[in-house]
Amino acid sequence: MSSSTLTPPGGAPAGQQAHTAKERGRVLPFPITGQEIVLIVVIVALWVALALATPAFLTEGSIVPLFVAMAPVALIGIGMTVIIITGGIDVSVAGIVMVCAVVVAKAMVDSGASLPVAVALSVVIGGLLGLVNGVLIAYGRVHAIIITFGTANLFKFLGLQLFGGTTVDNIPGTLAFFGRGEAGRTLGVPHSFLVMLLIAAAAWYYLRHTPGGRHLYAIGGDADAARLAGVKVQRRVMSAYVLTGLLTGLAACFVIARGTSTLAPNVGAGMELAAIAAVVIGGTSIMGGRGSVLGTVLGALLVQTVTSGVTQLGWRSQLSSLFIGIFILIAVGADLLRQRARRTT
Amino acid sequence: MSTTVSPEAPAPAPRPDDENGARQSRARQLPELLLRALLTQRIVLLLVLLVAVVVTFLTLSARNYLTAPYDASYLSATLISAVPLVMLGLAELLVITSGRGGIDLSVGAIVSLTSMVFGFAYGEWGWPLWGSIVLAAAFGGLCGALNGFLIAYIGYPALITTLATYYAFSSIAIVINDQQPISTDPIQAFFSAARSVPIGGGEDPLQVPLGILTFLLPTAVVIWLLLNRTTYGRRLYAIGTNDVAAEWTGIDVRRTRFTAYFTAGVISGLVAVVTVAQFASARPDAGVAGSGMALPAITIAVLGGVAITGGIGRVAGVVLATLLIVWLNAGILLAVPGNAGSQWQLAALGIVLVFAALLNGYASRRYGRTG
Repeated sequence: MSSSTLTPPGGAPAGQQAHTAKERGRVLPFPITGQEIVLIVVIVALWVALALATPAFLTEGSIVPLFVAMAPVALIGIGMTVIIITGGIDVSVAGIVMVCAVVVAKAMVDSGASLPVAVALSVVIGGLLGLVNGVLIAYGRVHAIIITFGTANLFKFLGLQLFGGTTVDNIPGTLAFFGRGEAGRTLGVPHSFLVMLLIAAAAWYYLRHTPGGRHLYAIGGDADAARLAGVKVQRRVMSAYVLTGLLTGLAACFVIARGTSTLAPNVGAGMELAAIAAVVIGGTSIMGGRGSVLGTVLGALLVQTVTSGVTQLGWRSQLSSLFIGIFILIAVGADLLRQRARRTT
Repeated sequence: MSTTVSPEAPAPAPRPDDENGARQSRARQLPELLLRALLTQRIVLLLVLLVAVVVTFLTLSARNYLTAPYDASYLSATLISAVPLVMLGLAELLVITSGRGGIDLSVGAIVSLTSMVFGFAYGEWGWPLWGSIVLAAAFGGLCGALNGFLIAYIGYPALITTLATYYAFSSIAIVINDQQPISTDPIQAFFSAARSVPIGGGEDPLQVPLGILTFLLPTAVVIWLLLNRTTYGRRLYAIGTNDVAAEWTGIDVRRTRFTAYFTAGVISGLVAVVTVAQFASARPDAGVAGSGMALPAITIAVLGGVAITGGIGRVAGVVLATLLIVWLNAGILLAVPGNAGSQWQLAALGIVLVFAALLNGYASRRYGRTG
């Protein structure tokens, strides 16, 4: 990996550059991993099966809500992927969603905030809360899961205080641009889904082709070795949590947009586990050092397909969690088998 | 490890060359020693915090700042909420101490599912009480064994495995009886198990929740004996500290780790019985409603000094941490009445946890590894 990030000193001859480019191709893993191919196959198979079982599945009225519903979880999952690659975890994102959503909803109801103001407000607040996590974890040098359990409680407290014991009612349709209605689509594709894809592509490129991205993998692989190799570990770790905060803030806007005109205090509940599930199904190793954003987006799509599919088949909606649990076990089991095979060869 | 696990950790021996001034320097060292004990011995810190909380609220109560008196009978009545917390905290103590990223997110879901099983057995099939309790413990153990098998024998990461089984168990618990709670006559009569009993004689005996005597104390004593007086306990600390070294000393690492998750499942099954008694109803969402039971239990364990990296953790720490949180919450409820009170409890839990974690980080940098 170092050979791809370090440029040789002095003016390298043209031949040398071709050599490093070739080397880079060999050092980086193939753009799509086995887990992701398997995920694509499973998703396609599920879609075919659902289309055969309920003809209503492959219609616009069913696919568009599916994409709108998966966007927030996928967006948070992108940030969570970056965090888990560094060997950390963030269980406080549900609290961040709650705080951002209630602040934005109140801003729109009370002072009629416009779309850009609402999004900017949400993203900034999310980033600030992520900064709290990042500073405590990177500079307090405490295990991420403990700190984020603590801040999850604090964020939830903050959110409940802002809600003040009631719901926020009569939310205007300012965020319809990201909703599931006609205003939220271009050429039939929901905007929230498009934005999520753009951010995922940017994150994919950053993680794979920039020194900063490779540093994150190095930290997850061995933080001490990374520090000795000159990586600014604390700063990078902190920025991973800030990034997740920013993305979670944006996701909170999507959550308001896909909901009704009433925001209840249980907004965001369970999203931390849903995002972690998407990341893990996507093949990112919970031990750090390995993973990809593409897998996370596919994982979120799989989770949402299962959730929508179970409802459309007329089964009890809670059954979907059973399938999600089984999918997590299968996905991680397949990953374990591949690792074992790699070690023996 | 010996300095952290054994309660009688020896103070650093005085160097031979300052034997003359040893007495004087020891007197000068006293504040330093106290600070060191406070920072490195979690039990000491928790005791100090506990006393501070109780004294603060007693003072507020004496000056009539609270909506109701904060006295011995109130403190003992609030202990009812300590029963599930301590038991699940001890379950987390076992799995986190087993190391390799050990954690159990599924305890709340096991409580939900076992509540339903217990409800069926005792409320619908007419099983005797002891049989139903044994069934609940066995069923919880089965759920824990599934976790333990996947984690210890197959090599799944604990966080993911228990996340997956959390989803699966909570889903089955809801679907199994079509989302309906079971509250038949025997279950409603079982509420008597959550009543308070008088302890001690005299004019005004202290009312203590029965669950403390029937469930909490036996569990705590058994886990304490298991950890401190059996070879299993030594093996558990060994694999949590360094499982490669433990393997080379001939310990069956997999079986030891499996047993930790199995025992956590059994404890969760018993907590299900306690929750059914408290609600007088077997609810399908008993252990996962709201923020669930797993996250508070992990919080209690961490606050009680259980190292998330494994190998360190004591029963007394978990018990003291629970008392601190329960009595702090009880005080907050009197100081901030209504809905806001339960919100401030969240804030208090978060602040105490972050504070304890940061203090841990600071102390380990200053004194090396701590308990």
